[in-house]
Amino acid sequence: MVDEARIRSQFPILDQEVHGHPLVYLDSAATAQKPVSVIDAVRDFYLRDNAGVHRGAHELAARSTVAFEEARAKVAALVGAESHEGGEEIVVTAGATAALNLLATAFGNASLGRGGGAAQRFALKPGDEIVTSKAEHHSVLLPFQELAYRTGATLKAFDLDDQGRILAETADQVITERTRVVAITHVSNVTGAITDIDPIVRRAHQVGALVVLDVCQSVPHLPIDLHAMDVDFAAWSAHKMYGPTGVGFLYGRRGLLEALPPASFGGSMVELAYMDKPAQYMDPPARFEAGTQPVAQLIGAGVAADWLRAIGMDRIAAHEATITRGLLRLGQVEGVRILGPTTPENRIGTVSFDVKGVHPHDVGQFIDSRGIAIRVGHHCAQPVHRHFGLFASNRASTGIYNTVAETDALLEAVAEVRHFFKVD
Amino acid sequence: MADFGMSDQELEQMYQEVILEAARDPHGRVPEDRPGSPAPHDGVTMKVEHGYCVPAESQQFNPTCGDHATIHVEVSDGTDGRPKAIRRIVWQGDGCSISQASLSVMVDLVQGRSVEEAMHLAEEFHSLMESRGAGIQNEDAEEELGDAVVFQGVSKYPMRIKCALLGWEGMKASVAQALTDMDKEKEQA
Repeated sequence: MVDEARIRSQFPILDQEVHGHPLVYLDSAATAQKPVSVIDAVRDFYLRDNAGVHRGAHELAARSTVAFEEARAKVAALVGAESHEGGEEIVVTAGATAALNLLATAFGNASLGRGGGAAQRFALKPGDEIVTSKAEHHSVLLPFQELAYRTGATLKAFDLDDQGRILAETADQVITERTRVVAITHVSNVTGAITDIDPIVRRAHQVGALVVLDVCQSVPHLPIDLHAMDVDFAAWSAHKMYGPTGVGFLYGRRGLLEALPPASFGGSMVELAYMDKPAQYMDPPARFEAGTQPVAQLIGAGVAADWLRAIGMDRIAAHEATITRGLLRLGQVEGVRILGPTTPENRIGTVSFDVKGVHPHDVGQFIDSRGIAIRVGHHCAQPVHRHFGLFASNRASTGIYNTVAETDALLEAVAEVRHFFKVD
Repeated sequence: MADFGMSDQELEQMYQEVILEAARDPHGRVPEDRPGSPAPHDGVTMKVEHGYCVPAESQQFNPTCGDHATIHVEVSDGTDGRPKAIRRIVWQGDGCSISQASLSVMVDLVQGRSVEEAMHLAEEFHSLMESRGAGIQNEDAEEELGDAVVFQGVSKYPMRIKCALLGWEGMKASVAQALTDMDKEKEQA
């Protein structure tokens, strides 16, 4: 088991009072808090090594470049991706949203004929299909919806069951011979449900479609092996896995990254540039990393990845499962409905709920007065809320530092909400 | 650091009884026309009732929390010899208790008032919401705002000011639209 006290001592931010109550942070699905080792790594980098990477011949530039590539390798190791020189499968981006936009834009560029013959495997045309789901975060839905509009492809979506789970068993019907891309979430940021991706990946590959997996909500909580999962692309951010903001990742199978045309153009992604003929672009990952990179942030993310591996993702998942069970007791509170699976199997500790008769904004304000941080709103996933007949909800989400006692505090506060707003 | 949240006591200050009550049964609200919605009580609908007035609507939306309202006004065109006035104001929508209560109080304040008076009240309410909890320090203005002064507590919280302003913004936008349409009709006549 995880040593709770030892973990919490690494997060000084948790040791404070908010509105006269001990802070209870249950908003890790929005962003996780950072352990001291991550904060120190960012600080130490700026204090000692700061320089641009992959350019310049001075000592600091060399140190920064080595640290940057080491950090990339640490992140790769966390998700079972390759990182040896010339075989890198992790592209550094400004975040998960940037990674998904990069990919959709690159597919669009391929559809315009850019990237030569090799890139035609990404090209879309009218009649082709892009498949997603009703459970997607807007950062998956919108880039691929735009791609459909730009290319004339049709956007289709997996439906959800009454607990909000993606109906993976319908893969053989939803994914057809016309499907070229399947962009789908591994874990919903609203329902916390883990998608049964095996039938989806199997069917997609059977028809020659590419699978893009949003792993933002799974990487911080579950053991992830992207090779074993057999997906083609994946995207996630560092700040939800206890790393800094401003950096995220696009995973791609090496062969696919090599064929993918660039989506963002500028310095450090080009080998030869001319005034009168097309540039010759670098190999991945540099081809997709135009401009000055978030060096300190990536180094922090590398420390976070190592920190997670040192604790062990299995142990983290087991610890958080106990917290999830604590949160699921919300379903027994009068007037509370859980939006998502009501039992702990195949879900993580992201638990969204509705309090009958009280708007989430009001619930959040009340809960905040008890020093408890939860998220309210649509969580950048409006279609899944519509599925439940709502526009917004309340969401409590776990991190490795949460305790069962904190879920007790939340339950106690939620149980008072309807009385306070006089709707009981 | 600034403290943008609230203690239990401050919470009570923000959610005053007037707000909670108004939010439960807000004035001027027309039930949404969708399956399962209760029938409009007193037969109130979004249909235009005053033939001599110029109707206009404005849709307001707060994407962070989903508060939304369509504000319908009917503005008299002055041909009755009296100043242009809001003869009717109703709205459809849903949202948090602050937005709902503010819409309700706004309707009570501007219904029947001249456009000039309504805009003046909107300005005063805006000042109140910009006061960061301090209030407007003007007894006349406070008296004019009546029940709307209970939103003083909300003005401390940047995340909630938008909720309180939603209805007022919609009132201003729809009245402005009605006045524009009025001018157009005059030009055409």
